[in-house]
Amino acid sequence: MASGCLAKVVFSDAKHNFIIHYLAAIGLLLVSPVVFGFSGLDERLAAIPLEMLAPILGIILMTPVFMPEQNESIYDVVRSKKISHTLVCLLRILLSAVIIALLVGGLSLHMYHSGSQVTARVFASALISALTLGALGTFASALGDSSIIGYMVSASYFVLNMLLHNKLKKFDLFTFTDGGTKVNLWLAAAAAILVFAALLWRKIRK
Amino acid sequence: MDNSIIIRKMNKYYGRKQALYDIDLTIEKGMFGLLGRNGAGKTTLMKTLAAIHKKKNGKITVCGVPIEKEREIRAMTGYLPQDFSMYPNMRTDEALDYLGALSGIPKDVRKKRVDSLLRKVNLQEHRRKKVKQLSGGMKRRLGIAQALIHDPKVLIVDEPTAGLDPEERIRFRNLLCEVAEDRIVILSTHIVADIEASCEQVAIMDSGRILWHGTVSQLLANARGHIYCANVEKRFIDQIKREYIVTGILTQNEYTTVRLVSEAEPDLPNTVLTDPDLEDAYMYCLHSCGCELKGGEE
Amino acid sequence: MLFKKECKKILLSLTFWIYCILVVIMFAENYYSEAKYPIGKPAKDGSDYGYMVREDPELIMEGASASLMSDFASNRYVCYPYGFYKAVSLDKEDRDKVEEYVTEITAWDHDEILKQIDSAEVYYMEHGFSTFPGYKFESVNIDKNMTYERYKEIMADIDDILGGGSAYKVETLASRYSLVPMTYDDAVREYEDSITEDTVTGSLARLFSDYTGISLALTPVFAAAALTAADRRRGMTELVYSRNISSLKLTFIRYGALVAMMFIPVFLTMIAAAIQAGEVYGDEPLKMHYMFTTTTFWLLPELMAVTAVGMFLTEFFSAGVAVAAQGSWAFLSLMSGGDELSGNITKFCLICRHNTLYGRSEFMATYNDFVFNRIFYIVLALVLVLAASYIYHLKRGGRFNGIRLFGKGGLFRRKA
Repeated sequence: MASGCLAKVVFSDAKHNFIIHYLAAIGLLLVSPVVFGFSGLDERLAAIPLEMLAPILGIILMTPVFMPEQNESIYDVVRSKKISHTLVCLLRILLSAVIIALLVGGLSLHMYHSGSQVTARVFASALISALTLGALGTFASALGDSSIIGYMVSASYFVLNMLLHNKLKKFDLFTFTDGGTKVNLWLAAAAAILVFAALLWRKIRK
Repeated sequence: MDNSIIIRKMNKYYGRKQALYDIDLTIEKGMFGLLGRNGAGKTTLMKTLAAIHKKKNGKITVCGVPIEKEREIRAMTGYLPQDFSMYPNMRTDEALDYLGALSGIPKDVRKKRVDSLLRKVNLQEHRRKKVKQLSGGMKRRLGIAQALIHDPKVLIVDEPTAGLDPEERIRFRNLLCEVAEDRIVILSTHIVADIEASCEQVAIMDSGRILWHGTVSQLLANARGHIYCANVEKRFIDQIKREYIVTGILTQNEYTTVRLVSEAEPDLPNTVLTDPDLEDAYMYCLHSCGCELKGGEE
Repeated sequence: MLFKKECKKILLSLTFWIYCILVVIMFAENYYSEAKYPIGKPAKDGSDYGYMVREDPELIMEGASASLMSDFASNRYVCYPYGFYKAVSLDKEDRDKVEEYVTEITAWDHDEILKQIDSAEVYYMEHGFSTFPGYKFESVNIDKNMTYERYKEIMADIDDILGGGSAYKVETLASRYSLVPMTYDDAVREYEDSITEDTVTGSLARLFSDYTGISLALTPVFAAAALTAADRRRGMTELVYSRNISSLKLTFIRYGALVAMMFIPVFLTMIAAAIQAGEVYGDEPLKMHYMFTTTTFWLLPELMAVTAVGMFLTEFFSAGVAVAAQGSWAFLSLMSGGDELSGNITKFCLICRHNTLYGRSEFMATYNDFVFNRIFYIVLALVLVLAASYIYHLKRGGRFNGIRLFGKGGLFRRKA
């Protein structure tokens, strides 16, 4: 029973509140060939478009999870219901993560079939970068109670990465682009902590 | 099982600022009116009862369930916030269905409930309109429908009639009376006429405190003997406003009838003692509890 | 006064403070740590003084033609259209076009070209999962009648066919094929230029503007969008609409307040940079005003343009569209320079880069474009604000409600 209701809630959310974000993410991938070449790349070169595009998908899809309830009175209505709002938000985040994984996976497959050396670790690294930057956006939007702030912080961190690269050490999003050879689990941990902190903050805020 | 809401010595803070002071209240089945000016703490109290805000200390039980058990509380309360709104891109029936799902109602039950509630609140023909296309009154009716979707034992509605036209307001009040037959309905308002028309029990709040609570007839009885009408010249009105609590001014030619609250008979020409209406009684209550009042205006 | 009140409103907004933090982080992480050490005079014994560009048509035509020949032979052209690696293979039609150009340059006919390719040395490159044949051409024949002007036209056309960012981009021909090693004297001259002409602060001001320019290409749009959308979000729109202030005045006051407030942190970092310059180069006679004049002329137009884009698009569409559009523009502008972080200022690039304390001559070569560019952005900004105020005016009169992507009257409205 409860699971059926949850499915309904998540589906409705996706359909009414997040469809534009899904379209934007797909649109981004569709125009990306203008900027990036996807064929005949070795592992390191293949990491560049993946680690560059995936975090942007993270920003687009994960930052707005609290956006529908930015209107305080909508927030009050959904909070007064039996199914916890925190749970609904967690499911939205998970759904976004799954969609990011599918999109990054699709892009990886496309690159693989175009003769690029996309390895499992490059895919994992790109996915983790996406989730980390998305989680940062989620966290900032929870803290600032505004999606614009979430976008601002995550996009700025992305730019910071483009300039500083290795100088960010463990928190460099472009692991393989910058010559790394191992999936950065620090980023994965940061993603989990940020999501947890965002949900906790939303819960205890009032 | 217990069928009342019991609040004992409850305090609530926003950060360091205290919002509610030692609230003591027992609310039984039927319509319960919460009256007070803007900022009196009505919304805070209602949000606390709907388990949206946490209290600092004290005790609240809703039908025997302590307020800390949020899930259970939410399963048996319906809440309509002051300015209800819903995801603007959803259709009316979809929004109701969505909120029903959030209340954990299984699909087949939900479908029936959505249909019957839409009929009940007269939104049947607008069910395919988007939420943002609804008028203020329709939106409020959707609000009451969503609060009732899980058939709650307690219904909490926060200033539901503010901003509605008279016809819409009466319809809304009647709807509330109808649903109050078998549950607790808590209605907050600063429109006294709403309470007069629908509530038996009433509490008056000011600055985060309950000033008074009892029945409507008690409230009226308290004010009896303190409400006067006087016919005065227009130019004295400002002076009268300064000295008395004026609850109504009716101007006819150069003379003006002033309705005012006073402990003793005022020293004015043509003064007659009159029966209080609820508005007078409310003003008298605020006055007798030591609240500072401005003549005729809140 | 309204201007003051708007400034106060901005001061109390979270986006503004995050903007300030970002400006300071960019300054501290990039510029401040890099400008810590004084530029030294080149040492006489050192053999490598780097390269300098000298536009030599003969060298360029020779190098570029050989490169074109080998790319044409393997039909694999490596391009960096937006700073990212992209290998382009041409279809038959485009291949034929390039062949015509090859013929025009080399005076070789079709058969001769095939013969040359057959006799070229072949090597194999591994890339990804594929192996590509490469053809080595040390030099090719150049038609005696080929002029440098015509050659540049051909190169521009080929770059176009390849989608830009190729090895034949006209602007980078010289730096790619006509580099000459710097001698000790050249290096000293460059150093002395930076001391006498720039008095160091000129170089520092360019580096400062380079880094700060990157954050100013993106971050102001958030504050601008958030504040422009604030009225609607707080249900204040009608309240403000009904006041008797003119739309033009209101929009410009708000715009002015945004730009003024957002310039404050930039100005503060300028002061910090000037103090640092004074400390590092205490003994030199510095023209300190460069730290303020060059930087302001470099950065203020950019801040103005980005803020105006934010206001205009938010008024016309919504805050989300403004952020997405400016985000893409900033990203593409940042990447389109590719690896060249200096000497690359064009008439219309949003971010003017000069990521070095050297290269004064390089910068001066593009100085006119730079001045044009910045004035262009000031004008663009004012036009956009004017447009924003006109849209505000239309909305206020109920003649226009902005274009929303979804919902009532939306572009993508789904059928109910």
